Amino acid sequence: MAGVEHQATLAEAQAEISQDALRRFDDIFRRGAGLFSILVVLVAWEYFARSGKVTAFMLPAFSVVAQRIYTDAVHGDLWLNLGLTMYRALTGFAIAGVAGIVLGAAMSRSRILRWFFDPLISVGFPMPKIAFLPIIILWLGLYDISKISMVVFDAIFPVVTATLAGIASVDKELIWSGRNMGASEREMMWQIMLPAALPQIMTGLQVALPIALIVAIIAEMAMGGYGLGGAMMTASRYANSPGVFAGIVEIAVVGYILIKVMALIRRRLLIWHAEAANH
Amino acid sequence: MGGQGQIVIDRVNHTYRPPRGRPVLALSDISLEIRPREFLALLGPSGCGKSTLLYLIGGFLPIEGGRILVGDKPVAAPGPDRGIVFQHFALFPWKTVRANILYGLERKGLPRQEREKRAQAFIDMVGLRGFEDSYPSQLSGGMKQRAAIARTLAIDPNILLMDEPFGALDAQTRSIMQTELLNIWQRSPKTVVFVTHDVQEAVYLSERVAVMSARPGRIKAIVETKFVDRNPGILRTKQFLEKVDELWDLVHDEAVKAQEAVS
Amino acid sequence: MTPEAVTKTLVRYLPIVIMAIGWEAIARMNLVDSLALPPLSKVAVAWADLMRDGELVDNGASSLYRGGVGLLLAIAVGGGLGIAMARFRILDMFINPLVELFYPLPKSALIPVTVLWLGFGDGSKILLIFLGCMIPVTIGAYNGARGSDHALIWSARGMGAGSMRMIFDVVLPSALPEILNGIRTALALAFILLVSSELIVSQKGFGYLIGYLGSTGSYEGMYAVVLTVAFLGFAADRIYQLVMQRLLRWRE
Repeated sequence: MAGVEHQATLAEAQAEISQDALRRFDDIFRRGAGLFSILVVLVAWEYFARSGKVTAFMLPAFSVVAQRIYTDAVHGDLWLNLGLTMYRALTGFAIAGVAGIVLGAAMSRSRILRWFFDPLISVGFPMPKIAFLPIIILWLGLYDISKISMVVFDAIFPVVTATLAGIASVDKELIWSGRNMGASEREMMWQIMLPAALPQIMTGLQVALPIALIVAIIAEMAMGGYGLGGAMMTASRYANSPGVFAGIVEIAVVGYILIKVMALIRRRLLIWHAEAANH
Repeated sequence: MGGQGQIVIDRVNHTYRPPRGRPVLALSDISLEIRPREFLALLGPSGCGKSTLLYLIGGFLPIEGGRILVGDKPVAAPGPDRGIVFQHFALFPWKTVRANILYGLERKGLPRQEREKRAQAFIDMVGLRGFEDSYPSQLSGGMKQRAAIARTLAIDPNILLMDEPFGALDAQTRSIMQTELLNIWQRSPKTVVFVTHDVQEAVYLSERVAVMSARPGRIKAIVETKFVDRNPGILRTKQFLEKVDELWDLVHDEAVKAQEAVS
Repeated sequence: MTPEAVTKTLVRYLPIVIMAIGWEAIARMNLVDSLALPPLSKVAVAWADLMRDGELVDNGASSLYRGGVGLLLAIAVGGGLGIAMARFRILDMFINPLVELFYPLPKSALIPVTVLWLGFGDGSKILLIFLGCMIPVTIGAYNGARGSDHALIWSARGMGAGSMRMIFDVVLPSALPEILNGIRTALALAFILLVSSELIVSQKGFGYLIGYLGSTGSYEGMYAVVLTVAFLGFAADRIYQLVMQRLLRWRE
């Protein structure tokens, strides 16, 4: 009898161990698969470029492009351009983030503000707001402030929308508990509603960041000068094919890193969220 | 002249107005007097408006018809004199257990040392020592409800409003919590208004049970359920079971009516 | 529409009317440099002029042609690819990593390379929009087709439906919501890529016209075209939403 039970527990334990191992292998496999696919793409790129089916102009080999990136890095050009683009994108993002949350919070409290801004937001969202760039340049000149303003104009929409939605969906029992504890209206907003809406607000911010990057780059391409966008446009005008492709790779990497950083920040800030607890 | 913790409900009506659809009369002409430090249960089928009545006492819903007096003052808004405990705990998920309990104490403006001392005392009282720094998402249902109760008790309300607080817990945890609630209440008596649809729970915990009819809610009957002892042992006594039967009969018709209204 | 509905819509969009009035007032009162902010009435006049002498229509047609072709190609190829990927695992394995790689890439980064390849003309814009817009459509089609109820597929197969038939009768309808959402994203993206690339480098089109008017100091005209483009983007989305609702309604 005891033998049978013992067997059963052993089997269970073994099953559990192999389940764990499977899960871990699955994780590694997934990450590996991602890496693997990048490698495949790079190898295919190199092969295709060298195969002679396309000219070196149309598709410079990855090795050539990598060389170009390396040279830029060593000479400091890469860091200069990268820094400028980051400065413009992140400043705009920060302003859009703060202003968006404040506006969203204010709109959730005031019917008049909601009435006033609602059509502006719903009409503005699907508009190609980049069309307003020439107007912004007319007002603010060809300086960074124009690029940053363009970023703010584009990036603020998802933040406001997410903040509004987040606050509106706060559990009414949480609000009542807060009032029960004697919180004033202002304390309610900052101590209860915004923290409760944080998951959705974070999502809005996560949508806004790539938008900020894209818009900063477009603005740079339109206005010229330094920055990843501007440098790419210059390379294009000088028919500098490796330079253009180098730009694509650099932007892709930057975009990827920014997304990963935001995901990390989200995990940290929302460590209390139910999804985080399900390990 | 009532004392602290006396509740007078005087001909209260309430109409529920959904954003789409017709308004529905939820409560009709409710009058009830709850004595200070009394443990009263509001018993009735789903949809009878018992939670609504609780929210009106708590000041979470506006009183449109009739009036409610708490300790002689009409209810106007929520406040820490009437603490509420919800069925789904309503703990602030981004705060730890300790931070949740501290929140009300901070609103009261107590000095720091006092706050920490009180919070710890209530954490111990509900048996959550060692879990102070956990987040609600890491706790079981029973633990969450203990935390919620501790949070509400910490603000030292005269009145405790409980909205089916053990409804989301499994049967074992529920009976443990019921006994613990009784212990806490016996140690520091407050007025308790306890909403439930569970007849046995109502008879066990409370001294009086107000039975409510199906929608629109009226007070159908008020039954005394005071027993000399209040420990789990009485659950099997003849006296207890008779009371349960009596109330079950009263509730049963209403429950059927409520079902028919829906179908 | 009932009178209440009309009033409701008017009230809802009233803030925009207020802003328009405010614009006119601020410009006329010379609170800001009248060059930088011409009165709305003058912008309207300039718009009428541009319509009359055909500038707006010509350039507009050019833009819409590029955008339309690029988008349609993206929908056809992207949609087909997404559905094929959902059906054939081999395709999925090969192409999925590519999609994942290009999904986070800011599509505007493709502007210089399309210019490099195809110059300033229609070709580069069409290619840009095709490449950029393909990704959201592919992802939408892929997810939609993946989610296709297996039970539906199996019962269709049981009734003797061949592969092609099945795709049209079963997979496509159930994948429709996701595909349509992907197309909606692609539509907005198409406008953005179109306007950006034309602003940056072009010889025709809305973006080109805006730049030209700006550089010759005809700011009223510039405003007129900017507002036209912005409005078109908004209108396209709204119209598409209506179409989407129509298409999805019979599913209920």
